[in-house]
Amino acid sequence: MRRRYLLLTKEIRDLFLSRAALVLVLILSGVIGYSFYSAVALYGNASVAALDNPLYAAGFEPVPGVFAPTFGGLFIVFSLFLPFLLIPQITQERRNNTLAVLLQIPFSWLEIVTAKFCAALLFVMFALALTLPAVALWSAWGGHVPYGELALLAAGYFLYGLFIASVSLFAASLFDDTARASIVAVIVIMASWFIDFGRDMNISPLVTAVSDWTVTRMAKLFENGILSARASAYFLLLSLGFAACGYWLLRFDIRRKWRRLAATALIILTALYFSSHLHLNADLSESGRNSFPPSIAEALKKAPAPAIDVYLEKTDSRFRDYQKSFLEKLLLVKPDAKVTMIGGAALKENYGRFVYRVKGREDATFSTGDEEIFTIIFRLAGVEPARGGELPSYPGYPLVTTSRSQSVVIWLYLAVIPALALPGFTAMHFRSRKKERST
Amino acid sequence: MLNLREISKTYTGTRSLTDVSFAVPENSITGIIGPNGAGKSTLLKIIAGFEHPDSGEMLFRGTPLSAFDDIKRLVSYMPEQLEIYPDYRVSEFLGFLHGTVGRADVGLLELLNLMSVRNKKIGHLSKGYRQRLKLYFSLCNDKRIVILDEPFDGFDPIQLQDILDMIRAENRKERTFIISIHQLHDAEKICTRYVLLKEGSLVAEGDMASLAERFGLEEPSLEQVFMEALL
Repeated sequence: MRRRYLLLTKEIRDLFLSRAALVLVLILSGVIGYSFYSAVALYGNASVAALDNPLYAAGFEPVPGVFAPTFGGLFIVFSLFLPFLLIPQITQERRNNTLAVLLQIPFSWLEIVTAKFCAALLFVMFALALTLPAVALWSAWGGHVPYGELALLAAGYFLYGLFIASVSLFAASLFDDTARASIVAVIVIMASWFIDFGRDMNISPLVTAVSDWTVTRMAKLFENGILSARASAYFLLLSLGFAACGYWLLRFDIRRKWRRLAATALIILTALYFSSHLHLNADLSESGRNSFPPSIAEALKKAPAPAIDVYLEKTDSRFRDYQKSFLEKLLLVKPDAKVTMIGGAALKENYGRFVYRVKGREDATFSTGDEEIFTIIFRLAGVEPARGGELPSYPGYPLVTTSRSQSVVIWLYLAVIPALALPGFTAMHFRSRKKERST
Repeated sequence: MLNLREISKTYTGTRSLTDVSFAVPENSITGIIGPNGAGKSTLLKIIAGFEHPDSGEMLFRGTPLSAFDDIKRLVSYMPEQLEIYPDYRVSEFLGFLHGTVGRADVGLLELLNLMSVRNKKIGHLSKGYRQRLKLYFSLCNDKRIVILDEPFDGFDPIQLQDILDMIRAENRKERTFIISIHQLHDAEKICTRYVLLKEGSLVAEGDMASLAERFGLEEPSLEQVFMEALL
């Protein structure tokens, strides 16, 4: 146990005291600070009109308004910079042959890789912790902090960090050259962005179909306040897959690695397929913005699951609106609802139609309005349409901040945190140089 | 003690070792001798389990030895291209090593004079001291076989004498050494047996007397054997 503790301590030291870590902390601090500052300023400006208007105020939610944009900075830094910190932790060991030292001590491959992985996850947690001063400031200004929703947002970014760490391990096991490994890692990570872009540009139906499985789309669920078993399983399985493949590739003591890699890929893909059928979702947003009003939701629960034929392209803005305002909410209540995207000639002939089938009866509409859809579904299901279903009374939390308050953010993130990080880092190095001179 | 049988290894079409077979007797100090590119480092990596041979096998006291975990328990290996954590101070590395191995060899530390540089960063040490640290790492354990790849680089003649004495002392503790050496006079000072490689093939093996007899040398010297066998 002590051996493992020493190994973990060594890995944490190697990672956190590297120059790359210092640079990354400075970048993180700047990006989080700027994101928070911009979000607070925009939220504050918009809040002015909402202070005396309760209806307008209900639209002011701190997580989508302030904290999601603040954490958004982490997304860029994790994607583009984190691999450059994590990959050298392995490539340097390979190039310097110090893996031979660790293996002969003797640590097992699993102990070495696990220790490096744990150190990487600790850094991800440290990066997430850099958002805590922003939360504290927001609270100090009198802002409302929805802790559950905020924790879900942080959990989403932690899972994303886990994914980046796994991809980094995989890339570092392919090459002992840091530059090449980093490029591979960034390409794998950015593939998600390219697929999303391809979907927006309507490049091909295949890209559109694949885009439902991109990392960015899965991460978006956490940002939207939806705790999704499918998205959680997706991140965990994908991370496990990349980490396991990296582990096999790193091991020079095994033969026929490709068999193990293929078996790993097969297991992960199968598990991903089964996880795609998980429909356990919960709306953790405080306002319930991802859910229908309670009375509607109750009535829907009593009705059989509808089957819906959609005669729209996935890239059509109408479909996106429909998906966001109706479909995603429906699937939260009725995860067994069957949605079919119609293609081919039928799509062209009936473009814009929605066909609803319940209990063998069907009706169609071109409308994407909730009221029309509920009327159809409840009529087909023979359920009395729920009346007076209002959203739970969410008051909204507008907050006007002064420019002086906002300047605190700049001071904190662009001056205080870097000022604490820099001397801490240099003190460690000066201390060792001083000791060297005294020898 | 250790038997290598028809070991072959090819790297991307280039034959590095071809059917190399020899035996390493218990408590011997075997020198792997050969010009650059002869396959010395590849052979040591295979014995240490850090490379797989394409064919051939290795036996330890008659039992096949191929699993890396089994080899690790028996063999301590110092690669030539080992750069021990340059950002660490010597004391930090030693602390980590002693903590994880669960022992410290104070006598060896003194012999290698490593305590005098304990507060220096490893990256700032002279080549000789970095070699000492690598040697300490390779010897600070109780493994029966010690493999050293070019361990004498960076030592001046006085330091080298200390190192050779230390290896002899460890050898007396019933440890078997396999050492790759390119300086013949150094090899002659320490080795009890020799394995001569040329272009990946075994040219000759044995102690000095048998090699001298094989090549018909009146005055046995490794240099003469080298000239006769390898050129």
